[in-house]
This record gives sequence, structure tokens and C-alpha cells, in this order.
Amino acid sequence: MNYLLCTLFEIKWLPDIWAVILVSVIGFGVVISLLILTVLFLVLAERKLLGFFTQRKGPNRVGLWGVLQTTADAIKLLCKENIELLSSDKFIFTIAPIMAFASVILLWCLIPYNSEFHLINSSVGVLLYFAIASLPMIFHFLAGYSSNNKYSLIGSYRSLGLTCSYSIVLMLSVMSVIFLSGTMDLDKIVLFQSKTWMIFSNILGFLIFFIATLAKLNRCPFDLSEAESEIVCGYHTEYSGMRFAMFFLGEYAELFVMSMLVAILFFGGYLPPFGMYLANAFMGNCEFCSYFIYFEQTIWLFIKTLIIVFVIIWIRATLPRLTQVSTLNMFWKYIIPISIFNLIMIIMMRALW
Amino acid sequence: MVKKIYLSIKAILKGHFTVLKHLFRNSVTLEYPEVHPFLNHYFRGRHVLEGCRGCGLCKRVCPSDAIMIEKNDNNYLNKYVIDYSKCIFCGNCMFYCPTHSMKMSNDYELAKTNKSQLLTDIYYKGV
Repeated sequence: MNYLLCTLFEIKWLPDIWAVILVSVIGFGVVISLLILTVLFLVLAERKLLGFFTQRKGPNRVGLWGVLQTTADAIKLLCKENIELLSSDKFIFTIAPIMAFASVILLWCLIPYNSEFHLINSSVGVLLYFAIASLPMIFHFLAGYSSNNKYSLIGSYRSLGLTCSYSIVLMLSVMSVIFLSGTMDLDKIVLFQSKTWMIFSNILGFLIFFIATLAKLNRCPFDLSEAESEIVCGYHTEYSGMRFAMFFLGEYAELFVMSMLVAILFFGGYLPPFGMYLANAFMGNCEFCSYFIYFEQTIWLFIKTLIIVFVIIWIRATLPRLTQVSTLNMFWKYIIPISIFNLIMIIMMRALW
Repeated sequence: MVKKIYLSIKAILKGHFTVLKHLFRNSVTLEYPEVHPFLNHYFRGRHVLEGCRGCGLCKRVCPSDAIMIEKNDNNYLNKYVIDYSKCIFCGNCMFYCPTHSMKMSNDYELAKTNKSQLLTDIYYKGV
């Protein structure tokens, strides 16, 4: 980013303010195109993998092995009619899916993809991330509330109840990471793990964070806010067409970005697992290599993320859904005490170290 | 309580690895229009009639009254019509046939666009 900014500053006829704006626009364009491509891939991957887990084939008709299935679905959803209930609250009903998707896009901008490309580089990156990550839940509630449907309302209440259970756990386990690395900057957390990954020093914290992540993403076994077999579709029952697609895409984009955060906090982010870049190992220290390293860092981040996404889909294929009561039971009675214990242990470790 | 947690985690992990085993198995899906399922020799599909002398026993044993036999003036078989909208593929006509002229083939794609097309004359007239 800085390199691009310097190149644009050197152009004489371009005012500096335009250079700054241009850099952010280019960065945002890259992020959002990455988001759309990843989500299209992710929906297909989930359907395929769930098929393979249950000895089916998954989508295999559109394109070669069904690769164009999600594209066709997206085009279909774009062409569909937006149905609105007469009794719904029009303004909130319209704005809720847009805001839910927008806040997920904002999350994508906070992630350090490699050591250069970091769109919003803040010294309190983790805090900012979780502040924004709590927004989609509010808009899910508003969507369920405004559509004036009992199933939507039950779904949104359930999603609020889930928020009460997981958010404390999520923050406590993130606190352990922050205490260990001594910083809230995502870039510095990644660089802190250049010797050993965080998961080796904080395995309990990782497990708690992962469970809380599943609850945050409304994934199995905590997908009770959109339980298909009980309350139709939860908060987006009344949505159709592109508004439904906003929720759907936002959900998958959030899945990917949370997995990226897990990879950054616990698996060394964009750092290679062997302590050495493959580009350096094969090509030596040449000029071209130093550019190639940035791509390699992004590829490492994506590989780690995809492994975590695979585990999440695997869990979805295996576990049944928990009830609301047992979810709250589990989080408040078991996981919160364990996470507090973990946090105290980490603080003591840090003090004695 | 520790034992309870241990047992539940063990059960969850066991379930996960059972599911993971299925990832590497072949799928049981048949891509139907291209691939047809394997059928046994005793499959009861479309009727095939060869060497019928028109005794009418099949018509009497048919539980759903789907068989219509038409003879000409010389008491020879002229038409042997099965109404596939009535037929339940029980196989009684094949079982009771005294000359073993009624067979049931493996052909099961019998859907038609019109109900009158389901009235099928299966009598093989010969050359």
C-alpha cells in the first residue's frame, strides 16, 4: 500500500489528496472482488463437501463438476422479485440486509493479507474487529423484528440469546492472545508468532475461541437462530431475491473472515509454516522474488483459512443442533469458567516469563 | 464432572472421525439419465408377449383389471392391450400363464405425456 502511495505521489499532475483516495479505492476494490470470488467458491465448496461427507456427489450439473452452480444461483437471485409484506416496517426491512453485508465487508478491510496490503491498519485492530463484528447480529435482530413474522421474531430472539452466551467467551479468549503478544495490532500479533505459533502456547484459548467462533457464525451446532427444521429460516424468513442473497453472502463472507482471524491469531497469519518463504528457498534473493513473497504470504493465509473452513464444514456435517437452553448452559456453566481460568493462567505465565 | 466432560468429548471426536471416513468413500449417487441402475433378472417391468394362444387366464387373475384381450372371428388373438394406468406390476399374469409366453422385461421407463398412450398393445404379431 505504501509503495503504491509513493508511486502515485510521484506523478506530477495528480493532487496528493486524489492519490490517497485512489489508493483506498483500489484497495477496497481488490478486497471486495476477493470477497465475492471467495464467497462464490465457499458456497460451492460447502455444498460439495457436505455431499461427499454423506456419500453424495453435490452439485455436478452446471459447468464442469458443477463449478458454475453458485454463479447460476447468484444470477437467479439477482433476477428474482423483492417481495415485501404490507405489515412490515419498510425502512428497517430494506436497510437491515444492506447494513449486515456492509459491516461484513468492513471486517474484510481490517485483515492483514500480507505484510504490505493492510487496508485499515490500526493499533487497536483486534478491538476494532470485534466492535464491527458485533454489528451483523444487531441487523439480524432488526431484520427479524421488522418483517412482522413470528418465525422471524423467534429467530432473532434466539440470535440475541446466542450473543449473550458467546460474546463474553470470545472476548476472554481474545484477551489471552492480547496478553501473550502484548499488542492489539493484528500485524504485530502475526509478527509475534514468527518463532512459534500462538496455538502452542495457548491451546485452551484456541479451543474456546473456536467454539465461540462457531456460535458467532451461527454455524452448526449453534445454528439455532436459523434452524430450518424448527422456525423455517429464522430472521430471514420473509426475505427474497437479492435481499436474501445479501444475508446469505454476508454469512459466508463472515465465515471466511472469522476463519482468517483464527488463522491470524493462532496459526501465524501470513507467515509460512517452515520459517522460510518458498520463494526465497527456490529462487534465492532476487528482485522478482521480493515481489513474489507478498503473493506467497497471501497464499499461506488462505491455505490456513481453508483448512479451518474445512473443519467448520466437517463439524456441520457431524453434529446436531443444540437447543437454546443447552447452549446457554454450556457457555455459562462450563466455558466461561474455563476461559477465565485460562486467562489467569496466561497472565501468570506472562508475569513469570 | 470431569469424567462426564471426557466422555462427551470422546463421543464427539468419535462421531467426527466416522464422518471423515465417509469422505473417502465412493458416492452412492447414480447420475440417472446417463447411468442406469443394475436390475436383477426378476425385475418386473414392461410386459413382453411371445407365443400367446389367448386362453385369457391372465385376464382373470389380474387384480386391477388392466388386461383387455380381443379375438378375431377365427378365435385367434388379435389384440392384447395392457392399460399401464391400471397395471400394478404384480406379476400375476406372468405367474399363471400356462404356456410361459408372458415375460416381464427390465424396461421401466414407461412415462407418457397422455393417458391414452398408456393403453399399449403388446401382442407380437410375427412376420
